[in-house]
Amino acid sequence: MILSEKGWQTVFDRIKTWARVNSPWVIHFNSGSCNGCDIEILATITPRYDLERFGVKLQGSPRHADILLCTGPVTRQARERLLRVYEQMPEPKFVVAIGSCALSGGAFHDCYNTMGGVDQVIPVDAYIPGCPPRPEAIIDGVVKLLQKLQQGEKAEVGDQKPGELS
Amino acid sequence: MQTDTQRERFTIPIGPQHPALKEPGHFRFSVDGEIVTGATVRLGYAHRGLEKLAEKQNWVQNIYLFERVCGICSHTHATAYCLGVERLAGVIAPPRAQAIRTLVCELERIHSHLLWLGVSAHEAGFDTLFMYSWRDRETVMDLLEALTGNRVNYSVNVLGGVKVDVTEEIAQAIYKGLDFLEERTHHYLQVVSSDASFLQRARGVGVMTRQQAEVMGVVGPTARASGVTRDIRIEAPYAAYADFPPQVIVDERGDLEARFVVRLKELLESYRLVREILARLPEGELTVRMPRRIKSGETVSRVEAPRGELFYFLKSNGTDTPVRVHARTPTICNMTSVVRLAVGHQLADVPLILAGIDPCFSCNDR
Amino acid sequence: MKTTEEILTLAREIAGAWDWTTEVTQPEPNRLDVLLRNPADLVAIVTALRVKRLGYLAAITGLDLGAGELEALYHFCAGEVVITLRVRLNGRETAVASLSELIPSAEPFERELREMYGVNIIGLPSPDYLYLPDDWPAGVYPMRQDFDPQVLSRKT
Repeated sequence: MILSEKGWQTVFDRIKTWARVNSPWVIHFNSGSCNGCDIEILATITPRYDLERFGVKLQGSPRHADILLCTGPVTRQARERLLRVYEQMPEPKFVVAIGSCALSGGAFHDCYNTMGGVDQVIPVDAYIPGCPPRPEAIIDGVVKLLQKLQQGEKAEVGDQKPGELS
Repeated sequence: MQTDTQRERFTIPIGPQHPALKEPGHFRFSVDGEIVTGATVRLGYAHRGLEKLAEKQNWVQNIYLFERVCGICSHTHATAYCLGVERLAGVIAPPRAQAIRTLVCELERIHSHLLWLGVSAHEAGFDTLFMYSWRDRETVMDLLEALTGNRVNYSVNVLGGVKVDVTEEIAQAIYKGLDFLEERTHHYLQVVSSDASFLQRARGVGVMTRQQAEVMGVVGPTARASGVTRDIRIEAPYAAYADFPPQVIVDERGDLEARFVVRLKELLESYRLVREILARLPEGELTVRMPRRIKSGETVSRVEAPRGELFYFLKSNGTDTPVRVHARTPTICNMTSVVRLAVGHQLADVPLILAGIDPCFSCNDR
Repeated sequence: MKTTEEILTLAREIAGAWDWTTEVTQPEPNRLDVLLRNPADLVAIVTALRVKRLGYLAAITGLDLGAGELEALYHFCAGEVVITLRVRLNGRETAVASLSELIPSAEPFERELREMYGVNIIGLPSPDYLYLPDDWPAGVYPMRQDFDPQVLSRKT
């Protein structure tokens, strides 16, 4: 059986989504948080919680990463760097804001040197609340994002050409 | 054509986002080949302006804020702050509260040192030790969660006492957890002083003599690994440390191996202290009444954080908000030593030298 | 190791050599405050403390007393004793000498004092910001009482 062009496209998209959902590489950026969330992110990749069973791998370079795990209220000095890390990531890319201060500024809401949350600077796909969120919550958030990718592939991901997705 | 280009010095920027550093700090190393010839540090990526915010919030709200100076040693920050405010108000927390504060301080030291062991092992390329030590760290995280309800920011302190009590059931769980951790710590102590590949990364690297340590003003385990016997828990006992004195662990060698050994031996000392506190926990109230307005005055509060001496300066003008809360954290003292020790070492050794002081950039920048 | 009384007596003796311009008080049993009316005395007193091996520099705290008056507090710790040298600075004209030649660990504290309060510190090697962001407006000092965060939003 010979597939039409559209048919081939669908097959490719399925393979792409399958690959993306089964082995998302994440990068972690601390934009000025108190370390509480960062040690919990680190705890999720260690044996007790083991995020790697979902194929998630913590990655050093933004150029290899699919998902940006961002903590902290985004300080003025870290703002430019967060933007640069985000721009270096290849499309399609997803952002997860972790912790109360990454969501809204949290305890540091009124500080003069914070922007008040990651979504003030870059678009965010998933929010994980908590101060800090438990490792289980972080796993839940990442898995929810993966589910969203899997279900929304046709509407959100599949029909777009690479580079169109913001 | 020029031939002297090989003498040219390169500058290598590291951070703020870097796989070796989990926290944002920016370093510039000038190198001659593989050897570092100069280093500068740029902090401020985590500078939020907490001390300014503290002037707008009242004394009680500030506990919540200062716990979030650092997520790793949050209880130590809150203890320093609360002890200072209580001294200003002329209130002394009940003995049981002081003992519970001390207990949580020591449990936090255990969690922090195990965390550090893993992170530094990771910097040394020894990921097996990283995973094992973090697996074992979950034991103390469970204990902290059982005791306080939180894994990271425990919120144990209130002005005039503590919120949580130690029940018999939790005490038994802590004894059991500590037995396991003690056995593991002896094993790690053996690993860091006998594993050949690890010793090549740590032995004789980043040596800081006692005199250098005193000149650079380093604090905490970093100083104690260079033979400086300085520990606020003994020099100026706070909370219940006068009743439960720890032993100072000192090592004269001053290299990275000594920093590993000192911190691991401090773990063993913390296990002993926690057991002793649990065995002789004073009976009584958990809190005393605190006034809402704090008497005007100034005070200094010093505690021994897992990373070294933590220094708080508090000033009140008699209202319900502070005039000034200044926190000087241990990392800022130790950071000078990294910039100096890195010179003359290979670039590949620098992450481990940095990890050796147990840096905390969010403490640093506030 | 010296006892608390010995340290306090020794510190009083040292400060006593400048008794024309200093004022020594003891606000708490373990604390000794030395108010320096003349900021130029700072280096000499710190040198005297170093010669007697009395304590280490634990922190430098800035205070805004209002009405353009600033105060820098140099805390020296020895055992449980905290010796605080208080230097009064009137407005932005007054400068204070850097201690970083004497005590290398003073540099980050002094840079913090300069950035947060705008104290002019003479002899501090690096002019760059250590804590504040690169694009911070010049002449704005966040820890001063008259700091207005609106300055920041107006710029961007």
